[in-house]
Amino acid sequence: MDNKIREYIDELLKQALKEGFTEAEVYYESDSTMSVSAREGKIIQFENSDTTGLSFRGLYNGQMGYADTEDIQPDMIPFLLSQAKDNCSVLEVKESITVFEGEKEYPDYNGFSDDLAKIDYEMLAKASLDLEKEVLAYDSRIEAVDDSNAVYSSGELFIQNTKGMICESRNNAFFAYLGCRAVEGEDVQTYGKSWCFDHRSDFDAKKCAKFVGEKVIAKLGAEPVDSLKTPIILDRFAANSLLGAFSGAFSAEAIQKGLSRLVGKLGERIANEKITLIDEGMIEGSRLSIPFDSEGVATKRTVLIDKGIFTSAIHNRKTALVDGVESTGNASRSGKSGLGISPCNLHFENGDCSQQQLFEKMGNGIYITAIYGLHAGINGISGDFSLMSEGFVVRDGKVAEPVNQITIADNFFDVLMKVDTLGNDVEFFSPEASRIQSPSLLIPDVSVAGK
Amino acid sequence: MLSKTSIERILSAALSKGGDFSEVYIERSKVSSVSLVNGVVEGTGSSLDMGIGIRILEGDKCVYVFSNDIYHEDKLIQMAKNASASLSDAPSDRIVYLKPEIEYFSQRCEISPTTVSKSEKVYKLRKAGETATAFSNLITQTAASTSDLERDVWIANSDGLYVKDHRCRTRVSITAIASSKEDKQNGYYAPGSGEGYEFFERLDLDSLAEKAAKIAVTMIDAKPCPSGKMPVVIGNGFGGVIFHEACGHALEATAVGIKSSYFTGKKGKKIASSIVSAYDDAKIAKEWGSYEVDDEGTPSTTNLLIKDGILNSYLIDKIGSRRMNEPSTGCARRQNYAYAPTSRMSNTFIANGESKPEDIISDTEYGIYAASMGGGSVDTSTGEFNFAVNEAYMIRNGKVCEAVKGATLIGKGDEVLLNIDRVGNDLKLAQGVCGSVSGNIPVDVGQPTIRVSEITVGGQA
Repeated sequence: MDNKIREYIDELLKQALKEGFTEAEVYYESDSTMSVSAREGKIIQFENSDTTGLSFRGLYNGQMGYADTEDIQPDMIPFLLSQAKDNCSVLEVKESITVFEGEKEYPDYNGFSDDLAKIDYEMLAKASLDLEKEVLAYDSRIEAVDDSNAVYSSGELFIQNTKGMICESRNNAFFAYLGCRAVEGEDVQTYGKSWCFDHRSDFDAKKCAKFVGEKVIAKLGAEPVDSLKTPIILDRFAANSLLGAFSGAFSAEAIQKGLSRLVGKLGERIANEKITLIDEGMIEGSRLSIPFDSEGVATKRTVLIDKGIFTSAIHNRKTALVDGVESTGNASRSGKSGLGISPCNLHFENGDCSQQQLFEKMGNGIYITAIYGLHAGINGISGDFSLMSEGFVVRDGKVAEPVNQITIADNFFDVLMKVDTLGNDVEFFSPEASRIQSPSLLIPDVSVAGK
Repeated sequence: MLSKTSIERILSAALSKGGDFSEVYIERSKVSSVSLVNGVVEGTGSSLDMGIGIRILEGDKCVYVFSNDIYHEDKLIQMAKNASASLSDAPSDRIVYLKPEIEYFSQRCEISPTTVSKSEKVYKLRKAGETATAFSNLITQTAASTSDLERDVWIANSDGLYVKDHRCRTRVSITAIASSKEDKQNGYYAPGSGEGYEFFERLDLDSLAEKAAKIAVTMIDAKPCPSGKMPVVIGNGFGGVIFHEACGHALEATAVGIKSSYFTGKKGKKIASSIVSAYDDAKIAKEWGSYEVDDEGTPSTTNLLIKDGILNSYLIDKIGSRRMNEPSTGCARRQNYAYAPTSRMSNTFIANGESKPEDIISDTEYGIYAASMGGGSVDTSTGEFNFAVNEAYMIRNGKVCEAVKGATLIGKGDEVLLNIDRVGNDLKLAQGVCGSVSGNIPVDVGQPTIRVSEITVGGQA
């Protein structure tokens, strides 16, 4: 990290103590991103950025005040300190939390790949051009590529406080996205997918294009089904989306405020015995590992649901203190108004059925491959959801014709109780890795609205 | 701040190795927020956001670079040169000269929000929370918050344009949550305005708190919504989100310019029922989605999108203009310097029709009355949209009956516009945040009460 930034942070912390803050902390992030998009055989968009952000928090008259700036100049120090003080002045409940003195030891993890660091404009340009070319070649019904995009980003994170804690990490990543449109007569279908690669050599345009090509062609001819109650299988992408949408229910902050249906449920059965839900900071061999959280607490492995029993919420130091437990290392900087909570790598434990076995077990029903409108069609507290979906009819254990323009409606907490079978297809590793992971789920008796 | 000559040097450097147009966007914003949960101040923050975006066009190809270091001219010139190098190799020694600065005031705030102490805001927000709680003993939680932004932007381009704009917005939100043994439902209002603290000061937050509490209490007793195709009457104000999703996004040059929208090539053709006319109007004074000048420096317009069911105009930005061979409609917008601008909506609404809202209900034998809507999304290639209903009732024999919960409406944009068979005379606008390729931006949606003759309703029953 730039020495000037280190000096700036030292100076800011020093000034804070002089200005009457009893303790203070700086959270600094920088990011560089290069993104290239192709269309019709040309590079159509190139973006390159360098950004930094600095968040200050400090304890003043027993209150923790926050202030942020993107303008890192010496004359901004008075602004940060006065804003943080003003923000303290409206907090009437005495803050019990202090800044963290740091762990004795942190997990050994390097999120920065020297191999990925060799990615340049030329490589991203070729990747995005190849993705487009390959998917157009996959099938003549694929008429256009709406987005073919390759991205390299790298960043630094640095936390320092007046208790002597210093946490720093570097990371970089290589992503690609391919979204295309297939047309047959009046019928238009789209499909898009993103990948995250651990090594430059993992990128295979042909393989990505084949995946997207197969998916979009399979959707041609999709129609709604009649409205009915039916068993469904959520494939792992749809199941990931659903779990992600309701993951906030497990935050101790939501529970303490009464904004989760899990209030008062600790130690009780909230799911059937097939369900185990785990949040893990460090995943051996995965670049999604997170060694420390936004307060500098080392991340952990937390079992949230153990064979159906709600065993733990996820905590930062503030909520942990309220509940008299240890922080689970899930503090996050949320937006610009302080400290929140978010999972590191949240996943249901695999069941033991392959996808084929799930189809056979269901016999007749609907196989859901995508759900939409998660920002609106859910009640995050009650668990109710009604979501536009698409997928396929399953008849006699076999995938049949495509379905779209339907909704599936149920309640997330009821689903946890009634899930019949979990698949064995959780993916922790590149290029399919994501921070929320669920295997495919076979769920009986779900309301489907269609024709 | 960079001087005019520095900006000229950056614009020239951006064209040094290729490109036919360069643009600089500089922004400096003060953002502040405070939020209360159950009457306790939960979060309060202040931030200073600042940065520069440099854009180069070559035909319809776009290069965009951004940084939040605006102090080092040398670094920015180098950044512009590097960006230029990714374009076709056509070195040029073109030197850009800027015309005199034109100053706009997209918004003028009477009382700058940063001059008001947070405790004044907290007092009023807390009182609103107490009002909601007092409404019914079923109300178990409340949340109230306000956020405001003051932003100065400078836009300069290689055509010599040099524009400064002042912007200011304030938004307030109140949520009431009602609880039963197994259920929690919320009611929500979040008005916003292109004004400063005077908007917050004037707002009757207590009556909104009561209305939010009433929705939550009504919905906690609601039965699951039925599913299937049926007529739906959609209430005024935020109900306009249906037009925003089902039609607005598909009229943006982002989709039309690359021929991916289902409205491509439909100008002059019937795309909606003949009782439907619709506008995107960025010029409504003090409105949340309004502005005087867009993020490319083009003055804003009142854009008649649909006239009596016929597609009249698209939403076109500079790149869209190049792709579609039509002039810009002054709709280029972005969340901040981290996004290249593109065609977006401002205040988008269906114009008043002739029906009285009560007649629309009494003419409906069976269906759903969607009194207030949540958010939604759309795929502009296929037209498939979805959105959530926050407050819904059954309609039987022309009368609004019991409340139903958990409804989502889905359909295809081109079909739903043709299926609008009643348009009321009670136009109202409502404020929201629209997310798309150039980030999250403030927009108004709006409509009078309308009826859609048939739409798929997804509920749990």
